[in-house]
Amino acid sequence: MTGRARARARGRPPAQGTALPAVGAAAAQKALPGQLPRQKQPQQPCARSPVPEETAGRGRQRQTQNVPQGQERKPEGLQISAGLQELSLSDRGGRRRDFHDLGVNTRQTIEHVQDSKTGTSGSVIKLVANYFRVMSRPQWALYQYHVGYNPEMEARRLRSALLFQHEKLIGKTHAFDGSILFLPRKLDNKVTEVFSRTRNGEDVKITITLTNELPPSSPTCLQFYNIIFRRILKMLNLQQIGRNYYNPDDSITIPNHRLVVWPGFTSSILQYEENIMLCADINYKVLRSETVLDFMYNLYYQVEEARYRDICAKELIGLIVLTKYNNKTYRIDDIDWGGNPRHTFRKADGSEISFVDYYKRHYNQDITDLNQPVLVSQPKRRANSLPGPVILIPELCFLTGLTEKMRNDFNMMKDLSIHTRLPPEQRQREIRKLRDYIQNDENVQKELQDWGLNFDSHLLSFPGRVVQGEKILQSGNVFDYNPQFADWSKETRGTPLICPKPLDNWLLIYTRRNYDIANTLVQNLFKVTPSMGIKMKKATMIEVDDRTEAYQRALQQSITPDTNIVFCVLSSSRKDKYDAIKKYLCTDCPIPSQCVLARTLSKPQTAMAVATKIALQMNCKMGGELWTVEIPLKQVMIVGIDCYHDTFAGKQSIAGFVASMNQTMTRWFSRCAVQTRGQELVDGLKACLQTALREWFKWNKCLPSRVIVYRDGVGDGQLNTLVSYEVPQFLDCLRSVGRDYNPRLTVVVVKKRLNARFFAQCGETFKNPPPGTVVDVQVTRPEWYDFFIVSQAVRNGCVSPTHYNVIYDTSKLQPDHIQRLTYKLCHMYYNWPGVIRVPAPCQYAHKLAFLVGQSIHKEPNLQLSDRLYYL
Amino acid sequence: MDKNFEEGQFQGTIKFTPPLSKQRYQFIKDLVAKYSPKKVADLGCADCKLLWMLKFCSCIEVLVGLDISASIMKEKMHMLSPLPVDYLQPTERSLSVTLYHGSVAHKDPCMLGFDLVTCIELIEHLEESELKKFPEVIFGFMAPSIVVISTPNVEFNTLLPGVTSFRHPDHKFEWNRVQFQSWALETARRYDYSVEFTGVGHSPRGVENIGFCTQIGVFLRKYPQTSGFALSEKSSETVYKTVFKAVYPSLKDEKYLQNTLVGEVVFTAQIIKQSLLNHLMSESEEHNDNTTARKAQLQPCFSNDMRKLGVEKSMEPFVKGKVVYVPLKTIFSFPKVNQLCGTFEKLCKLIAGKVKLSSDGYALMLSTEHED
Repeated sequence: MTGRARARARGRPPAQGTALPAVGAAAAQKALPGQLPRQKQPQQPCARSPVPEETAGRGRQRQTQNVPQGQERKPEGLQISAGLQELSLSDRGGRRRDFHDLGVNTRQTIEHVQDSKTGTSGSVIKLVANYFRVMSRPQWALYQYHVGYNPEMEARRLRSALLFQHEKLIGKTHAFDGSILFLPRKLDNKVTEVFSRTRNGEDVKITITLTNELPPSSPTCLQFYNIIFRRILKMLNLQQIGRNYYNPDDSITIPNHRLVVWPGFTSSILQYEENIMLCADINYKVLRSETVLDFMYNLYYQVEEARYRDICAKELIGLIVLTKYNNKTYRIDDIDWGGNPRHTFRKADGSEISFVDYYKRHYNQDITDLNQPVLVSQPKRRANSLPGPVILIPELCFLTGLTEKMRNDFNMMKDLSIHTRLPPEQRQREIRKLRDYIQNDENVQKELQDWGLNFDSHLLSFPGRVVQGEKILQSGNVFDYNPQFADWSKETRGTPLICPKPLDNWLLIYTRRNYDIANTLVQNLFKVTPSMGIKMKKATMIEVDDRTEAYQRALQQSITPDTNIVFCVLSSSRKDKYDAIKKYLCTDCPIPSQCVLARTLSKPQTAMAVATKIALQMNCKMGGELWTVEIPLKQVMIVGIDCYHDTFAGKQSIAGFVASMNQTMTRWFSRCAVQTRGQELVDGLKACLQTALREWFKWNKCLPSRVIVYRDGVGDGQLNTLVSYEVPQFLDCLRSVGRDYNPRLTVVVVKKRLNARFFAQCGETFKNPPPGTVVDVQVTRPEWYDFFIVSQAVRNGCVSPTHYNVIYDTSKLQPDHIQRLTYKLCHMYYNWPGVIRVPAPCQYAHKLAFLVGQSIHKEPNLQLSDRLYYL
Repeated sequence: MDKNFEEGQFQGTIKFTPPLSKQRYQFIKDLVAKYSPKKVADLGCADCKLLWMLKFCSCIEVLVGLDISASIMKEKMHMLSPLPVDYLQPTERSLSVTLYHGSVAHKDPCMLGFDLVTCIELIEHLEESELKKFPEVIFGFMAPSIVVISTPNVEFNTLLPGVTSFRHPDHKFEWNRVQFQSWALETARRYDYSVEFTGVGHSPRGVENIGFCTQIGVFLRKYPQTSGFALSEKSSETVYKTVFKAVYPSLKDEKYLQNTLVGEVVFTAQIIKQSLLNHLMSESEEHNDNTTARKAQLQPCFSNDMRKLGVEKSMEPFVKGKVVYVPLKTIFSFPKVNQLCGTFEKLCKLIAGKVKLSSDGYALMLSTEHED
């Protein structure tokens, strides 16, 4: 309800420096296209080892031969992937992260889904998804060779040059990173020796040894596909920014906000359930047609001088910039106010040069403002880069993306969404365009043919299931809702709540200017509360000055032990006032509170609707219950976890943790774990789980026989950390409760940021799939027990599905039951009378983590932990 | 001449700082700075490094590379693509970069009309038959204003460690100074060019008499630019294959000019609107403790700007109902807008249909609704 509530917490975890055993080390056990998808693979007795056994991608044989078993094999896998990626990514530094969590095989540990992981209920719906099958010749394989030099040659370029003196032997189609060579065809001999001569007349023996024949589904091969595909996107003259490619020719300018939007594509090629497929989606890059220096000047005129540097840093730090002279992106980590472009730096050859001269000489770029500060970017560890931070000149940098301030700017987001929110019909048409580009470009076709690859001309189509809608239960009444809107606000209006909490003793704090608004609100609340069953008395009205201290004093003076809730009418969305109120009322003086902007209350046409929402929210914050759905599972505790990563203040992360306390899932216990730098998040989570179990015992006089954890806030490439560290810790925690206590544990990773899109095909047209659409075939991954649910309905644009990956499960629950339970939980978020995108516990955990991360910065008082005070 | 390279310590080994290849490129850059050519071609462009350096030279509008190996060009050719920023802030100059796959022994009309053609370390890679055709193609057919040819000076080889025969296995020959100069003088004479000799990579003290490590001939055409008629007469069939082509966004292209101009106009109008609204607010709420008072600071400096620009009374923006009217003349008086379109008529023409104007077309209309 406040401005902040609209703000999104961006649940993007900090980049992981050290990656998982990536490509080379992955357990590539899965079916080739054409093989039976559900064929049982021979299981290894010890199913889960932190370092998966490697079965493919042995690139550097000589090194491998004498490597002892165990941990030291890990870096070898890394080397392979890093080396390979350099092929295409050397212009932006090799990336070592495995964004697709390849090689984390969790399904093999879950016995009851070995044969089938698909659900059964619901009606069939014809779906089309944004995937294209990758087609290859029959018996296609990629041949991996190790290339050795004698005498040893250091420079990669030299190694390439020497090798390609033998292009006749190798052929025109090849990929070489300096040591590993990939060819689409097999050389005549397993070991080939050739001689080349260097410029200095030195003769070099080159030994080309076959190390691997890679089937199309091997992880190395998949990574190779992705590299080839990136080449293709470049050939299509798309511009690379970050991980994606964009088409500047179709750019859209939004002059009101000095924004430029580039349409583009995200793409990745992976092994899915039955096929290797390209997942392609439309993506938009927001750029700004002003330099960082322009931005700084504009900001300077908008804020007071004393706070300028702070605000400027807050706005800029963390943003990604492009430069005028190269095609790299940099993250702004700091602003050096003492620096300026006349300062000098030491070049690689040891000479000193000033920034002004350097940019003039090398790039013919004139720097006009010699007094501007400089930006500092700390590069992530890269093999070839110089140590130390990169200094950037604001005048030569352009901002990309949106700042937090812009995200909160409703008008700006509205103007943007006109261009970026495509309806399903249009979206699938745009996605098909990529395929057309590939098909119609001669060079691209040639490249693909040389490698013996191609893409299916149609989007993938397959059947999905729409599970039946839930019945909303509220005080003996049963409601159906219109599945098209997935919203029951109209249906349940005027029905008593399951558990209304009386408003006997409450405070209403407002400024003089908002006196009328506050009064009107009270009157409206008197009108809407009786039908809900809420007993309400007049509020204690307190008028304060519009200053933070005035609010604080009012709170300190007027709160009594009997106060149910504090209501504050705020006149502006200034964050400090809100933070101060929340901090005081969540830690020092634990009382639920409701802050609402005066502006929200001021519009007469929406006043009643707003009052209704506020009444419901206040009721939840005081521990009331609104509605429920039928939950057939007994003795189950549902846990939701989400993280908030504070990028600015001390870089701490907060995990929100909520756990259901009753059978109807209407009451939730909550805690949060504040993690300082260098500390494992899981330590805090263990403590949270322990207290939750204790609390469950208090409520139910027994311990839950099942615990189901919905874990949100897991970044790309972090799955292995979860499997190897977090899950064992949960198990440990459950074991520590008592010797005879052995509950069944299910851990489900919830992911909202996906590239997968589903379209419901109705004749010739494409629509959003209805809420309750479940997908557990084709686009899922063979090595996971995973599924997608489209749970929410959207009015504009395309609905995005949520991905659920069951990484640990001893519950023996049928996949259908897990799917249904998950969908049911999406009905239980009390801040929205409708179905939401994630299970309610995830959304509650998110709200809690966001409140703590944004405003409170430490764990709230545990006296509040049995209520939804963080809504 | 560039004097800032150092001689390596002479002890049998010789090392150039900066490296000799960089010195050759710097030589070309200096030449470009001196003559400001608009159309430049690099023959034997290989990994396109020189072209990449030249694309930053603001005088060049057409940049062409030619090489006998398509794969070597392809490896790094995307360095020659426009950067994202080139789209965000198109410049006045237009620039196209094209790479052709072909031989310097063949004539192709796409190489006509150039101001500068560079052949850096090219000729020594040519077979005898190709070398024979080379002068006719470059000087007779292409006939650019300036030709630069560099090649190793074989006299220097004794100072290079490990070089027994040629500096590179692909070299078909390496000339001494007399051989190169007599070839160059003969060529210049035949095609009516003048030639000057220089080089990069000084010989160390004591052996100055062996000349530069790389010898360079700079050829200047003695007769004026061939007329268009003569060009068309010359044109033969195209034999080169286009490998890569990039057209940089430029304000000369109306599409980019319009986009940039509309952006600038709207942004300027927003600033004027904001400052007007702030002014009105601070007038009506002077007693208020709100933050608007501080924003009013903007107002005086803004008015000063306006006065400086000689803004008349009739050009002042005003509010009527929920709409702010910003006269186009006012917007036109802002330097950035002014620079982009030049004349008021052009401004009106380019923004027509792209922004909301009052019925008389006199002012830009902005809504106050969005305001907080």
